[in-house]
Amino acid sequence: MPLFSAEHRFLLKSFYPSAHEEYSELLGSLGAFMEKELAPMSEKFDAGREAIAPYRRKLLEGGFCQIPFPEKYGGLGLPFAVYANAIELLGAADASIALSVEIHNAVAEGVFRFGSEEQRSKLLPALTSGKRLASFALTESASGSDARNVRTVARLSGGEYLINGSKTFITNAGEADLYMVFARTEKGPSCFLVDAPNPGIRLGAHMAKLGMRGSKTSEVTFEDCRVPRQNLVGVEGQGIDYATQILHGARIIVAALNVGIATLAYGKAVAYARQRSAFGKPISEFQLTREKVADMKTGINAGRLMYLYASLLKESGADFSSEAAQAKVFATEMSLKVCDAAIQVYGGYGYTTDEVHRPWRDARLLTIGEGTSEVLRLLIASRELAKAA
Amino acid sequence: MKIAVCVKHAVDESELKIDPSGKPLLEGAASKMGTFDKNAVEEALRVKASAGGEVVAVTVGRADARKSLKEALAMGADRGVHVLAELGALDPPKTAGLLAAALAKTGPYDIVLCSEGSSDTYTGLVPPMVAERLGVPYVGYARKLELAGRALKAERSLEESLESVESPLPAVVSVVSEINEPRYPTLIQIMQASKKPVEELRPEQLAAGDAAPPTAVLSMAAQPQNRKHVMIEGTPDEAASKLLDALVKEGVLQP
Repeated sequence: MPLFSAEHRFLLKSFYPSAHEEYSELLGSLGAFMEKELAPMSEKFDAGREAIAPYRRKLLEGGFCQIPFPEKYGGLGLPFAVYANAIELLGAADASIALSVEIHNAVAEGVFRFGSEEQRSKLLPALTSGKRLASFALTESASGSDARNVRTVARLSGGEYLINGSKTFITNAGEADLYMVFARTEKGPSCFLVDAPNPGIRLGAHMAKLGMRGSKTSEVTFEDCRVPRQNLVGVEGQGIDYATQILHGARIIVAALNVGIATLAYGKAVAYARQRSAFGKPISEFQLTREKVADMKTGINAGRLMYLYASLLKESGADFSSEAAQAKVFATEMSLKVCDAAIQVYGGYGYTTDEVHRPWRDARLLTIGEGTSEVLRLLIASRELAKAA
Repeated sequence: MKIAVCVKHAVDESELKIDPSGKPLLEGAASKMGTFDKNAVEEALRVKASAGGEVVAVTVGRADARKSLKEALAMGADRGVHVLAELGALDPPKTAGLLAAALAKTGPYDIVLCSEGSSDTYTGLVPPMVAERLGVPYVGYARKLELAGRALKAERSLEESLESVESPLPAVVSVVSEINEPRYPTLIQIMQASKKPVEELRPEQLAAGDAAPPTAVLSMAAQPQNRKHVMIEGTPDEAASKLLDALVKEGVLQP
């Protein structure tokens, strides 16, 4: 089955009756590219035998990141749901590239929503066309979920800020040309754009990870890192509010990414179950295998509808933070279950075959990254209880 | 340089379903531009890049053939020509007649590129028929193509050999897939392709003749490929000798 399937086409047709053909054409073309150029490389990316950078560049040059931004800034002006759907396909093709691109484009969204007109027109065309790669530097060793506690500081000195502090678990570290950094000024946590290379940026060693091994992750330390005053994003003291809003959108994308990973694992499991025999018949004939197939597919379809629903809310301008968190919690936990079931269907070969356990290892990150399931459940509950009050 | 490239909106063989009797389900099957036609489009764009000029993508088919034309336009063709016609299951002379008439009407062209065959029926008959109708030389199965002034040099990929040929222009050239790696259009190119001009022609506007097809399709069936799936185990040495025995037993190798 092609990455962009009849199921996707049907949903787009239902949501966008007048424009679905164009969207399907674009996503079909992207899917064909990913299937041929990216998916066959996944094993090598995972094993560190091939770097994702040239492949990611080729994808971005094709216009992937331009999808949700207005034409004025070099974008294609297409709905957020189309972008989310594209990320789902990318998650199925290669989760490491999808993660790297998701974070890159979340920074672009931050520039678009909170940057000055000058920052937008200067940065967005370069970011969305892949000429520059971005990284999002919020998390610190002592503040993950409680981002308000950010300890990195930015001190105004002459015409520039001096940033000091350390960020950890930074995706695209070392590869990025631009870091969106959250640091505390007198007025509170604030958002800065730091160009790289910069003599004030020091990179830690690449972290060995359970999954998402194609993407680069490390600590990034700022030591008297000089940043021109005009690289402040928005208003001083509003940084956490910006980060929160960027992350609401990014959660929809992470949900889509996980639906993609789950689709990959599901496809493998079903194909294997049909051809592997035990006790004289294919294991797909056994009821306990069938239960797995049913639960996997049900979860995938539910996850897809949830991220599309949150995307549509976002496009409409309504508050979508609870729905984005719901989609992320559900899709990441669902994808982990689907990937786990796929290993189970494969039996011993699941535990020993890279292409079967890689989706599980990749999916495992995302009940933690970009908002843990625990924190997001608190968010959902507080939003929903407030609505009921 | 005026360059034409012929494309077919073909059945997507990767999504084709076969019914239990072995009959391919062609009605309502997914369709796409012929796989090898992308190589022809790519080569046309390369000719344009080196010699300048214009690339015109030409297709014959129903309304949905417009999709393949649009894909060629997204890849970089400048404009399209769509001969709106209902074609029978297998009628290369009719296709070639309509294509040649459309090329004559919208041309003349210095070079007409085609692929070696469509990815669905793969008869490979249309390109030489088009050349014959246009009365120009035909160079088939090119895996390398160079233009020098009013002539071309090509390396033809034949079953057991390569053949270097030269031909004056205009000419019809069919290419094999190894000639190039087709480019992927960017998303913006795909979106802008719908703004490029497409000329629509009807068979009655083209003096293509209306001969009955010289062949009739009696039946069509999938060729089942049964594989044995024999697993050979043991140390490399043991496995090698078991494999040898198995190949001899199957008659693949002579003892």
